[in-house]
Amino acid sequence: MAKAPAKTKAPVHAPKRAPAKAPPTAPLKTPPKASPKPPLQPHPSHHPAGGGQMGEADETMVPAVAADALSIRDMRLARDGHRKRRAAPARNPLREGLRLERVPDPHTMVIFGATGDLSHRKVFPALAQLWRTNLLPADWMLVAVGRRPYDDDSFREEIGRSLDQWSRVPLEPEAERQFLERIVYHRGDFADDAAFDGLTKRLIEIDHAHGMPGNYLFYLATQPSAFGTIVGQLGRSGLDHERHGAGWRRIVIEKPFGRDLDSAKRLNREVGKVFRESQVYRIDHYLGKETVRNLLVFRFSNGIFEPLWNRRYVDHVQITVAESIGVEERGAFYEETGATRDVLQNHLLQLVSLVAMEPPATFDADALRDEKVKVLRAIDPFTRSSVEQNVVRGQYGPGWVAAQPVKGYREEDDVDPLSETETYIAARLQVDDWRWSGVPFYLRTGKRLPKRASEIAIQFSGVPHRLFADTVTDPQPNLLAIRIQPDEGILLRFGSKVPGLGMEIRTVNMDFTYGSAFSVDAPDAYETLILDSMLGDASLFTRADEVEAAWSIASPILDAWIDEPAPTLPNYAAGTWGPEAADALIERDGRRWRRI
Amino acid sequence: MLGHPSHKTPAPGQPILRWNTRTHSIAGIEAELARIWSSVSLETEGDDGEPERRVAPRSSVMNLVVIAGRSEIGERIAAIVEGLTGRHPSRTLVVSQADPDGPAWLDAQVQAHCMLPRDGAAETCAELVYVTAGGQAGQHLAGLVAPLLIHDLPVTIWWPGEPNLDSPATADLLDLADRVLVDGSAWSGDGLASLVAMSRLPRRFKVEVSDFAMLRQSRWREAIASTFDRPAMLPFLGGIREITVMYAARAGSDGRANAIKPLYHVAWLASRLRMTCVNPLVGEQAPWSGYRAELRQGRRRIDVVLRPEESASPPGTTLSVRLRAERRRDRLTVAVTAQAEGVTVLATLNGEAMPERRFLGARRREGELLAETIEGAATDRISSSALAMAGSIIGADSGPATVMTRANA
Repeated sequence: MAKAPAKTKAPVHAPKRAPAKAPPTAPLKTPPKASPKPPLQPHPSHHPAGGGQMGEADETMVPAVAADALSIRDMRLARDGHRKRRAAPARNPLREGLRLERVPDPHTMVIFGATGDLSHRKVFPALAQLWRTNLLPADWMLVAVGRRPYDDDSFREEIGRSLDQWSRVPLEPEAERQFLERIVYHRGDFADDAAFDGLTKRLIEIDHAHGMPGNYLFYLATQPSAFGTIVGQLGRSGLDHERHGAGWRRIVIEKPFGRDLDSAKRLNREVGKVFRESQVYRIDHYLGKETVRNLLVFRFSNGIFEPLWNRRYVDHVQITVAESIGVEERGAFYEETGATRDVLQNHLLQLVSLVAMEPPATFDADALRDEKVKVLRAIDPFTRSSVEQNVVRGQYGPGWVAAQPVKGYREEDDVDPLSETETYIAARLQVDDWRWSGVPFYLRTGKRLPKRASEIAIQFSGVPHRLFADTVTDPQPNLLAIRIQPDEGILLRFGSKVPGLGMEIRTVNMDFTYGSAFSVDAPDAYETLILDSMLGDASLFTRADEVEAAWSIASPILDAWIDEPAPTLPNYAAGTWGPEAADALIERDGRRWRRI
Repeated sequence: MLGHPSHKTPAPGQPILRWNTRTHSIAGIEAELARIWSSVSLETEGDDGEPERRVAPRSSVMNLVVIAGRSEIGERIAAIVEGLTGRHPSRTLVVSQADPDGPAWLDAQVQAHCMLPRDGAAETCAELVYVTAGGQAGQHLAGLVAPLLIHDLPVTIWWPGEPNLDSPATADLLDLADRVLVDGSAWSGDGLASLVAMSRLPRRFKVEVSDFAMLRQSRWREAIASTFDRPAMLPFLGGIREITVMYAARAGSDGRANAIKPLYHVAWLASRLRMTCVNPLVGEQAPWSGYRAELRQGRRRIDVVLRPEESASPPGTTLSVRLRAERRRDRLTVAVTAQAEGVTVLATLNGEAMPERRFLGARRREGELLAETIEGAATDRISSSALAMAGSIIGADSGPATVMTRANA
């Protein structure tokens, strides 16, 4: 054996340390003395887990905006949200390259609305899958909060039955037993102070019994009307307070985030009074879908597409979210919602922002969301006249879907027989920025359409010069279609010579399907998103300013419709692709909806 | 069935044998492989007896060459590979050697295995070729394998047993490969001699080396890393003074066991924390004494101890990883201990215990590890640097073929 050298000449690298101070940024302008707004006082309990990062230095990070133009909430958002430039936290070098999914810190999850349909169909099955695959910490507990009279055992039995019905992959009996053992039921009314005092006591007991550090994840799976009450109660009970150095508190809120711009702002304000923006995780489950996440990978990990992804090469973009089902048992809900609030304001605009965004500098939550917000802000706001020109609403009448006769919307249960609620909306948007100026984005979503299909189609411009002028058929422009569901995949259409002596061109498809390429079940969107919230990764959650920017696009449409007489409804038969006016909307520009 | 496709409709996720034929030459294998996919009747029989589903053409993401050594190993490996058909369809060549002193001969079985990913989807199919070579034919593996590879696809060579990495025949084979898969925990003795040869492979050939023994440590790494996620703990990574790994050895033995897994724990930590090896690993002379080495991080020396412990676990299995770190006047100890279904982390700061954490995760099977390796990055920097560090710790950088004991050092 060779002797070890007495002195090693290899360079020695000490692990990198976090910078002691945040980089200097523009100072906050001094508010005028006459300002009625109180000065900003950082709440002592609102220090981030790292500690010591939210002092004086952070005050200087608020951008130079006249302070009297800012509400306390605005200033809090500015301080906590996207505009802030925090010192990059030191990274754990042992984390690099770990192949297994990271396991969240030990914590207790609290689900409000635990007896509801969403919890049973989506949340509990997702949690059970995470448990089954060892992605939940071994020290994990769940407190289910609801009004119904269950005890721990009867609620566990109820969840067991739901898992049998809704689990993506059946649980092994032992895994199911272990999972259910971790669930306790806490009965209480959301407006009842005593119920929250009891909840606080119970959480502390769980911490003591299991040696947990006091990390809580609150999940609001209730009606939106209860959001404000629950958040207020959590604040009153002090359950929002993050203890210095340990004990994070996060809140997950289900959509809808308001029903118009004003109510969204009001809700954000109520949440913002109690939780910092960095503690809030607003779920739009579309963002957790594997194909939607792949959109980012497709755009930013393939060098050949991004150079073409702009007004120079793209003629227009079509985004379709089509459902073949009607309102089912949710007639009352849908009467209050409609297609604009249910799909356009959230899912469709999220897809627009992912398609149109600039590459973020880093793949962290705020960098990603900053770019998405920029897109939403670049969309031309609707006016009354532009709504009339660029938006079409529809409502389905009786018809045939999948060879079955189906009722019209007005004949559905809990629906007003003279309802003017839209079950279909098509819109033409302009993203007015350097990349997309002049490229129309056509969006459509509806119920009782011929099939369930969600798709993003990038229609490229035609060739500038028709070289093969003698061919019988014109080559069609290239198309890139990203199928979100079902049959997830990506299709590229291009022209090819037909074999033979002549020079005929036919359009052919290069079709990639997830199913055949990977043959593995993708996780459910709720599994992805719940795990991310436990890990503190907010990349796939919508931020307050993002929600408000999306409502700034949707609200003027709804406002215009209040004043304008509705078209004759119903205006499309169930099982067709929507009203004729929607075809006219796109055909007016010399284009047509894709046949999906 | 020889040379004719099966018409059964498989259940989703279940591989089905669609083609099975036998031949005795390389040319014969090539001809059979071509014949599978040029067959006109790759259709399945529906409930009404009518053909209803066309079998998808071959889909391959790589060439997988398994050097099985003995035929029973080949059968075990084939079962694993069949299970991956839907997820990672490959052309798999399972090569076994027999009767090395006899005349040259070759026997091959050519199969097509298909899988229905889900109802309504087209089947994905992959080829599996068992080749048993006798006499000199079995000594020239590269000549056997090269003509059967699908060009332009990566070549992975999987050595389930103990590879003879120094032989010229192996060198020829490695010239064809992009990646080599081994399982260091299955090697004989302490396994360190083979590790010396393996750690030199990336320098000798353009190959990526993956060791299942290292992949199996993911949960341990997650557990160790989690301790330092807290900002207050992170600076201790710059003050580690001692790394001790306890591993299983059989009762009644002298404590010798495969030391690959314990060494990999140290190598991973050392490579992540940019340590260098000051004194390579030395085997202690006394029974049950294990090994010692010395690393350096900045100006600090780090003692490394690998020590066997009597245990009913398979020899070489890691029982615990313990770290001792100091920073100014603070002292941190971290003990990660194997449990039945995972590992437990217990850390103390200045003697005060921090909340215990458990990380669940059953031992992963070879099929899962193979899938993970295939799915992983073509170049796994973390494993590569850990492997290079393991080589450095056992002195492979400076030339010895075996780790010395105190007696002969």
